[in-house]
Amino acid sequence: MFSQFRLSMTWVHTWFGLVMGFVLMICFFFGALSVFDREIDRWAIPKTRFEPQPMPSFDHLLKPVFEKLRAHPVDMASTAQRVIGDLPHPDTMPMASLYAYTTHRDPVLSIGAEFSIPNKPRNPADDHLHVHGWATIDPRTGDMIPDDALKIGSGWFYPMHYSLNWQWKYIGFYIVGLAAFVMLAALVTGVIMHRKIFRELFTFRPQKRTQRSTLDLHNMTGVVALPFHFFFAFTGLIIFAAYYYLPVSGTLLKPLHDQHEILESERTGLPHEPAGVAAPMASVDAMVAEAKRRWAARDMAGEVGYLYADHLGDQNGYVSIYRAGSDRVALVGEGIHFKASTGEVLREDPPRTAVAEINEFLTGLHLQHFEHWLLRWLYVLGGLLGCICIATGFIFFVEKRKRQHAKTNSQASRLVDAFAVTTVTGMLIATFAILVANRLLPADLVGKGTWEIRAFWGAWLLALLHAIWRSAPVARAAMSPAWREQCWLVALLAAAAVLLNWSSTGDHLLKTLFTDTYWPVAGVDLSLLVTAALSVAVARKLWRVEQVAAQRQAAGEGMDGRFINAEVNHG
Amino acid sequence: MVEPWIALILATLSCFVGFGWLALAMNVHWQQVMKTTSAPSPQTRGRLRLLGLTGLLVAVVFCFIADRPSMAVLVWLMLLAACAPSVAILLAWRPHLLRLLWPGFKAKA
Repeated sequence: MFSQFRLSMTWVHTWFGLVMGFVLMICFFFGALSVFDREIDRWAIPKTRFEPQPMPSFDHLLKPVFEKLRAHPVDMASTAQRVIGDLPHPDTMPMASLYAYTTHRDPVLSIGAEFSIPNKPRNPADDHLHVHGWATIDPRTGDMIPDDALKIGSGWFYPMHYSLNWQWKYIGFYIVGLAAFVMLAALVTGVIMHRKIFRELFTFRPQKRTQRSTLDLHNMTGVVALPFHFFFAFTGLIIFAAYYYLPVSGTLLKPLHDQHEILESERTGLPHEPAGVAAPMASVDAMVAEAKRRWAARDMAGEVGYLYADHLGDQNGYVSIYRAGSDRVALVGEGIHFKASTGEVLREDPPRTAVAEINEFLTGLHLQHFEHWLLRWLYVLGGLLGCICIATGFIFFVEKRKRQHAKTNSQASRLVDAFAVTTVTGMLIATFAILVANRLLPADLVGKGTWEIRAFWGAWLLALLHAIWRSAPVARAAMSPAWREQCWLVALLAAAAVLLNWSSTGDHLLKTLFTDTYWPVAGVDLSLLVTAALSVAVARKLWRVEQVAAQRQAAGEGMDGRFINAEVNHG
Repeated sequence: MVEPWIALILATLSCFVGFGWLALAMNVHWQQVMKTTSAPSPQTRGRLRLLGLTGLLVAVVFCFIADRPSMAVLVWLMLLAACAPSVAILLAWRPHLLRLLWPGFKAKA
């Protein structure tokens, strides 16, 4: 009975793990990169290579910037399709609300606003009649950063992590959600299958056969990072829970949701609707000073992370000021809300309930707004351990079956191997291709970001084609040379990215490390070089393995399948 | 009090050393490191386990010294995840280095 149970667990682990593993690999890898998304942004947009800045003065610097901010053409176009009649000219649209957002790692400031429009909606149920504008600015001067400079870290790698950058009908979000769920199942079934959790905690035998040593690595990386894997899959699901499982608040329960908003605003005293009476705005800097004073009084001294103002220029206008994450895991804003016209405090967010505390801790753990560089690097390591776990899972799958498949002329393991190459080395190639494209294309190229994205997908597609083209040996129970060849390409691209960064910006490692230290760029460059070195080592190792296998085949020894199976069954 | 970054380095070290001792308490790894065919004596094994657990506990104490509690727990868990594979890699490629953790043992010829 129990062996039956374990077999069924093995089945679930193998097949669900295989199918969703390709997605999980992407989630883990780009999640690991997202830990340093802001730093990758600095690498990709050299204009923004300066120290992180606090929220600048609203009264002196941001106010004139917001006066220049207009509705974004992209949102103009999409809103135009939803409303009756032509939209007014952006210059004439009054600004209804605004926000400014930064973190302790951001030199630049993200700002945005909603603009009111007089048009009626095509769909009467559509009650969000605003056009949005947004921009990224240099908070030291108020200058706008060109809009089509793609933030490769926070604008491409990070959304890759949770949506695969597949926006059509939000399908990417759902696939990732499903993958996270399968991940939890794979962890539980994996623990049941493995049994020797503690006895083999330190077991890695690289000198054994590939099948055995990959299984060692698979078990070890799975077990040591088990809490990490579990919590990240779990909290990832929590972050999107309302979205994945109960996407009803915007559809079925919309009337209830709207009513809740009104009641909420009655409860908090923050007006839901404008009064229709014009009123000026008091000093926001004074409000910021007051908010900081109140945080300090609670032993939570900190900087402003998020500033929001609603009903601009109206009697009912209010300003909300939230604290930036820094010294604790929980993602807490400790919002303090002011009446915009007078600057008096309308409300302080009350102490949280236990449930909210837990929720904020769990989401904070995943979203990591805190200031802790060691923990950030440990998260990267956790993500990479996850990648190793999945990649070794693929290799084990192929190694276990390829001899059998070779005998029966099946192409199955060949296909899995080609996909594995594409998701392991191919993904690295795509990642480094976008960085290389970023440094090769001129900064003032129109639509530069679009070209970078094309380079990313194009490189990945080529990696897939190459992996399929070179996969034939797998069907003969040998190793695909695509692994080795793509390792060389990874090394080449990674090294090229470092060199191109040097030649295009003058920021070489000696400078970013010693003479004019700038860790974000130095960190990206060093990581690229380490990856390049590892890829070369792996490629050379694979070359030796292929040579030995070829010699053995030439000598007509052939591998003894029975022996290997015995060894694995034993493990 | 100790500077946070020093506390974190000490936490990392004691976590790593702790896992090293725990690994030595296992027959396979003891034999691998000491180049012997015999198992550690029950007394040695007991001491190694005790030392190992102490190492992990000392690590958690240093984590709490360095950071606020919620942060410290996370750092500790992630240090465990980082140090265990490091010990495994050392065992795979440079096992003799772990002899430093239990000096004085002489394998009988």
